[in-house]
Amino acid sequence: MTAEQTRLRDSAEQIAAGLPPLLVAAERLASVISLGVHGRRKSGMGENFWQFRRFQAEDASTAIDWRQSAKSQHLFVREREWEAAEAVWLWRDGSAGMRFKSDFADATKIDRASMLALALGSLLIRGGERIALYGDGRAPTMGRAALNRMAHELIERQSGDALPPDAPVSKNSTFVWFSDFLSPLGDIEDTLRRLARAGLNGQLVHIIDPAEEDFPFQGRTRFETPAGRQSEIFGRVETMQSAYRARFRAHAETLRDLSRRLGWGYLAHRTDRRPEVALVALFEALGGAKAKMRIA
Amino acid sequence: MTFFGILTFAEPFILAGLIVLPAIWFLLRVTPPSPRRVMFPPLRLLLGLSATEETPSRTPWWLLLLRLAAAALIILALAAPTIGEPPKPLSNGPLVLFVDNGWTAAHAWKDREAAISDALNGAARAGRPVALVPTANIRGSISLLDAGSAQRQAEELAPVSWLPDRKRAAAALAHMHFATRPEILWLSDGLDYGDAADIASKLSKLGATKILSDAPGHLPLALKPEVNRADGFTVTVIRAETQGARHGSISALGPRGENLASTPFAFASGKDQTTAKITLPLEVRNETARIVIDNEDSAGATRLLDSNEKRRAVGLISASNTENDQPLLSDLYYLERALSPFADVTKGSVNEALSRNASVLMLADIGRVAGADYTTISKFVEDGGVLVRFAGARMTQNVDDLIPVKLRSGGRYLGGALAWAEPQHLAPFPDASPFRGLAIPKEVTVSRQVLAEPTVDLGEHTWARLTDGTPLVTAAQRGKGWIVLFHVTAGPAWSSLPLSGLYVEMLHRVLDLASGARPSDMGTGANAMFPAYTVLDGFGHAIKPGADALPLRGAQLSKTKPSPLHPAGLYGSEGAQIALNAVDAKDVLIPFGNIGAQVENYSGTAAIALQPLLLSLALALLLIDAVVSLLLRGFGFDPKRLLARLGVLALALALFHPGNARADEAFDMKAALDTHLAYVITGVPDVDAMSAAGLKGLGAYLHARTSYDPKDPMGVNLDTDNLAFFPLLYWPMDPREKDLSPQALSKIADYMRNGGTILIDTRDLTLGPSRGQDNPGEQTLKRLLGKVDMPPLQPVPPDHVLRKTFYLLNDFPGRWEGGKVWVEALPPPDPDAGPSPARGGDNVSPVIIGGNDWAAAWAIDNEGRGLVAVSPGGDRQREMAVRFGINVVMYALTGNYKTDQVHVPALLQRTGK
Repeated sequence: MTAEQTRLRDSAEQIAAGLPPLLVAAERLASVISLGVHGRRKSGMGENFWQFRRFQAEDASTAIDWRQSAKSQHLFVREREWEAAEAVWLWRDGSAGMRFKSDFADATKIDRASMLALALGSLLIRGGERIALYGDGRAPTMGRAALNRMAHELIERQSGDALPPDAPVSKNSTFVWFSDFLSPLGDIEDTLRRLARAGLNGQLVHIIDPAEEDFPFQGRTRFETPAGRQSEIFGRVETMQSAYRARFRAHAETLRDLSRRLGWGYLAHRTDRRPEVALVALFEALGGAKAKMRIA
Repeated sequence: MTFFGILTFAEPFILAGLIVLPAIWFLLRVTPPSPRRVMFPPLRLLLGLSATEETPSRTPWWLLLLRLAAAALIILALAAPTIGEPPKPLSNGPLVLFVDNGWTAAHAWKDREAAISDALNGAARAGRPVALVPTANIRGSISLLDAGSAQRQAEELAPVSWLPDRKRAAAALAHMHFATRPEILWLSDGLDYGDAADIASKLSKLGATKILSDAPGHLPLALKPEVNRADGFTVTVIRAETQGARHGSISALGPRGENLASTPFAFASGKDQTTAKITLPLEVRNETARIVIDNEDSAGATRLLDSNEKRRAVGLISASNTENDQPLLSDLYYLERALSPFADVTKGSVNEALSRNASVLMLADIGRVAGADYTTISKFVEDGGVLVRFAGARMTQNVDDLIPVKLRSGGRYLGGALAWAEPQHLAPFPDASPFRGLAIPKEVTVSRQVLAEPTVDLGEHTWARLTDGTPLVTAAQRGKGWIVLFHVTAGPAWSSLPLSGLYVEMLHRVLDLASGARPSDMGTGANAMFPAYTVLDGFGHAIKPGADALPLRGAQLSKTKPSPLHPAGLYGSEGAQIALNAVDAKDVLIPFGNIGAQVENYSGTAAIALQPLLLSLALALLLIDAVVSLLLRGFGFDPKRLLARLGVLALALALFHPGNARADEAFDMKAALDTHLAYVITGVPDVDAMSAAGLKGLGAYLHARTSYDPKDPMGVNLDTDNLAFFPLLYWPMDPREKDLSPQALSKIADYMRNGGTILIDTRDLTLGPSRGQDNPGEQTLKRLLGKVDMPPLQPVPPDHVLRKTFYLLNDFPGRWEGGKVWVEALPPPDPDAGPSPARGGDNVSPVIIGGNDWAAAWAIDNEGRGLVAVSPGGDRQREMAVRFGINVVMYALTGNYKTDQVHVPALLQRTGK
């Protein structure tokens, strides 16, 4: 593990430390496929005692509970309750635009997104959930090893796709998508619908650089994309401020509507704000779903 | 091309460039400022939006004006403008500056400087070589220089206190070879020394010649020798031209340049000479050091006065009452006539004379001075007065003791009817006599005199004698004053001396005794040498004589004219100076007549080149423009943030400096309030830590065993800290130490000279396998302190006080045993004093050098246990190391006190206890 990885993981855990372990709310309470380390009310893999039953021929002899069997004439097998954890997929946008940081921001968008993703991952791991970075071809796993692997992946994957690719996901798990959502809206919508169709429920975290929202520019200015492929010169850009802000608000509004229609959550985070604020909001958004379900 | 009468452009056609200014204005208006680059990921959102206007015309009008002004300045500068018209070159060949730099040029030297600067600037622009020919001090050969070197040489050119030698300069110039015909600029002083026409024709043969001279009415003035009359100085002023009236003023200046008196003078039209009189009371007049023409500032307008010029007040006292009846037979009549040209004479009683501040008393034929007068005169002589006595009939019978030599009673007649001998002539004056060098007229004869008792020292007291060897003038010093006896009468009764000029000169020399001169300095024998005391520069300022100013010979004195070998000035020694003035009585100033060439006048001011000024202005404007442009585009910095940062920086600086000062003060305060043991901070952390620990340990032992309780040891930074507070510095050597700065070295030398002791520890066996030259510790010592002035050293002798200051020690172990310890060599023992148990020099040894790594042996930890094992070891060795440390501290603190202590038993015995 490199020093940078350690640093990222440590800072992520530091901001996550203030929150209680996060248990992702079960969306479908009655469903067999639901919650994290909650008992599934049937026998299966688990820690806790579920029932004793009579030994059957197909049972392994090692499964016999000899203490119970000694109390009577019959052989008994101890069955445990089946426990299963929620799987959470995390996706961080790795496009060139994410590496932007204006003079007004504290960190680049990609750094902030990585930190939030890892902080969330840390909370989830402490809650006993399984996590995975989407698109790295691995199934969600538990434990600190998963967190370390994710930190490693986030550092390694400094550049990457803006949109999550079409990768196999386990059904009915949760998806958290960190991005600046500056790809064409159509592409975002397509991807979101595909994920929703795959049975994923989730959360969009919109990472915004303050300059992108406030447009604090003046005078004659040449704007360039971070990839450097495109540039445009405007004179007296201060006159464009209100028009741009309106456009940006509309863009964010569209994203929010889209996600609400699909039952997803939407959260905006500016990189000049404290990341803890965003993490609390994210915690409430994920945990809030559980609360809602309880009421329902 | 000249504009407005004063502005001249060298390249006027470039001014045509000014018509492009409107074009620049137009271009600036239509060209938008270059955009600021911003990275902006949501560019897509911007597309399709449009700013309300593209903004080329938003360049503010004042910025536009600034840029236009910069462009205009550059164009103007390229046209090379000057204020005043620089001289036009006559040819393109080399430029020869033929400068008269005698004192005759000093009064208007600024004009010369301006002309030289103009000429050199022109030469620099045209790249012409320059030869500088100062006519008054031409040294060796003339060489061609580039304009830059010539400029430097011209800056050193200054007028001198003698007259130019144009012939020699022209000859030297004629020897030069020029590739092309040179242009010769003769910056003359406008005076003709009889060769001006000749020089002008010579120069014009050599090259195209232009002659500059002072305008009429501005030619130099000079002062002729003054006459010191009874009521003041009469001064003669001469000038070169005769046309027009001219006036000015003359001042008498005191020794420190203070103005004693001034008087105006005026030349009538047609006259080249005028006189002025400075009225001054005698006392003030004698203070006069020089007479100058105000605002003329040249050596010729300055007259130095030497001690000969001073007038003395002389009191004449006579016993006889014949003065009024038969003046020609009166002694005083002759004295008065002889003295009045250079002294103020008072006749009357002793008290009257002294109340007029007489510095010389002359008694004519008074045998015995009695009563109150005797006391008064004795005191007068003791206090520095000069008493001159003349013999006479009364002195032959009865004489007091206010005479230089013992006299026989009676007298001696020569050439009388009953005498064998002829009247005697004077013998040449002895060498020690103040009369040395005076010419002795043949006709002076002596027919009667009083005789001195022949004694051994009679010769010493004799200033003049007759051909038969009998003294004519004797003198002796009494207290601070002199008693001089003429063995003849003051009148012509006994000799013809009072009738001769020699009498006047002898009296003059005697009066000089009153100014404190030694008699032997006053003679002006033909071979006497008078070194230059102070000399004048061309401006008439006194300067120290240079190495090339030769002494004057007595024989040349009246004939010498100022020259490079003998600059005008004062010659001789303190109290007996002879002035050599730039102008003497025979000198006249003759202006250029018709010298066969056109003579122009100096313009007075140099042309001022404006190009550099304009270019720097333009550059400044462009810089302002750059900053303003950046600000307008919001580039890089936000003025508020910049101000805040500057503020923080200023605050930090403000806090940092006094903080530093306080730290220094705190160090000094701490070091001064207690006597601390101290070590040199070597910059090597482990060595410094060991020094500190060692001195701490030693301090603990000192506290336990002696009455000295040292506070915590202090580390001393040789570069920054004041060493004066520490009696002892421990300095371990380590090869990693950096070389010392010169300041540190001089600080160490000062410390050692002023009584500090440095204990240098080369730590031989800690650093290397063996002791000796190659040991890294010793090599470090050599490297660090090789440049410091070390006293002669010797191994600590058995009777050295260092072995006895507290403990009696045989050897000086530290962490290691053996090795020698060196201290400053003691003076050899006094054989008469007998065996002494202890010896020390007058001071403590400035260094103690050894290599046993003492700090390591002294170092203890918090529990009082030794930090480092000693070798070969044992508590005994550590104890001995500590004892050595205590002895060294006691030695540094008490000096050689212990050497005196050994005498205590003897002293006690002597007091009887």
